[in-house]
Amino acid sequence: MTRPHRLRLLGAREPAEAAPLSVPSGEPPRSVLVHAARGGDVRAFAALVDAYYARSLRFALHMLASRDDAEEAVQDTFVRVYKALPKYEEREAFEPWLFRILANRCRSAGARERRRAEFVEYGDVPERPVSSGHDDAIAWREEIGIALAALPEEQREAFLMRHVEDLSYEDMSVATGVGVSALKMRVKRACDALRARLTEVDRD
Amino acid sequence: MIDERDAVIDRVVESLRPLPVVDDAAKARLLIAVAAERERDRESAMRRHAPHRMSRWIIRGTGVVAAAALIGAILLRNTQQTAAPVRTAVSPTPAPAVRLAGSDAGTDAETAPQSVELVLRAPSASNVRVVGDFNGWDQDHAPMKRDAASGLWSVTLSLRPGRHIYAFVVDDTLWMRDPRAPAAKDADFGRPGSVMLVGRP
Repeated sequence: MTRPHRLRLLGAREPAEAAPLSVPSGEPPRSVLVHAARGGDVRAFAALVDAYYARSLRFALHMLASRDDAEEAVQDTFVRVYKALPKYEEREAFEPWLFRILANRCRSAGARERRRAEFVEYGDVPERPVSSGHDDAIAWREEIGIALAALPEEQREAFLMRHVEDLSYEDMSVATGVGVSALKMRVKRACDALRARLTEVDRD
Repeated sequence: MIDERDAVIDRVVESLRPLPVVDDAAKARLLIAVAAERERDRESAMRRHAPHRMSRWIIRGTGVVAAAALIGAILLRNTQQTAAPVRTAVSPTPAPAVRLAGSDAGTDAETAPQSVELVLRAPSASNVRVVGDFNGWDQDHAPMKRDAASGLWSVTLSLRPGRHIYAFVVDDTLWMRDPRAPAAKDADFGRPGSVMLVGRP
């Protein structure tokens, strides 16, 4: 008997402007890809990488300071996804499952970054690029980067999952292993901190 | 719990939402890492279930074809989406893709590594590497050297006798099989690597 497609698995809450996340007509829904990849179809796995790579990299880039570390975290994530697919329960939503692995890899990479930073002498490397001030839009993006980096890791992670990756609190709970109430508090505190810092910048 | 967005948070989200530019080389490295993982799994399964040498080769060959197919599948997708960075051509002089350049010292002729030279004509490439089951599909293991006059890239490898699957990676992103060697076709997955037989399997 043919199993029905579980369309809830994928894509239902994806942001409309993230073009690569939409499934072009003629391509199979991602739930079908996940099912096929789980069954050993390498083309389906490659298509999943195509579908989620950019979004995973976006999350990793916002969590980590270096692009190399972000790419390595994403690579490590997909290797782990590949290894864990046989154990993946299709009744689970794929996206929070992917983000659980990705967030874990980013936390580990973040810890490595912090250890490395302890060995960098003060003054060697600027924490973030310094704005030249010639372009307000660039300056604003840099301020956002600084404000985001100043958040505690768990608040940054919760904020990004909720407002950039559009995960529901229930899916965030699956991805982080933290309760919904605690996650709401983290997001609220992150918003408060960003608002306070960036409002201050706007006044300057 | 209030989770309200205001104008400031909207601007933050708007700034963070655009997807980053994807580096195809990084994506290719990812798929090579996955393929290597797949190969390790199959090798482990082979050791558990196939005690005889001949059987190991057969199972290993099957696993490597699948691993090559995984890498090939996505790299083919990439190359279909973007123009190929180099043009490659088969050498006008028919020659075997694999030349046995001598045998290394060894008492067991059946297992002693042999020197194998791989050659590819790619005059406009800036770098070419060989990946295969013999180096864990690692791009850093077998960089090829370019002969400026002929545009030929070559590398000599020391390989154990048996059936090997391999491919060339041109300019870090373009995956291609050896045009002068038999294709390791896999009916299920489409794009394979190339096959070479070293010594007597």
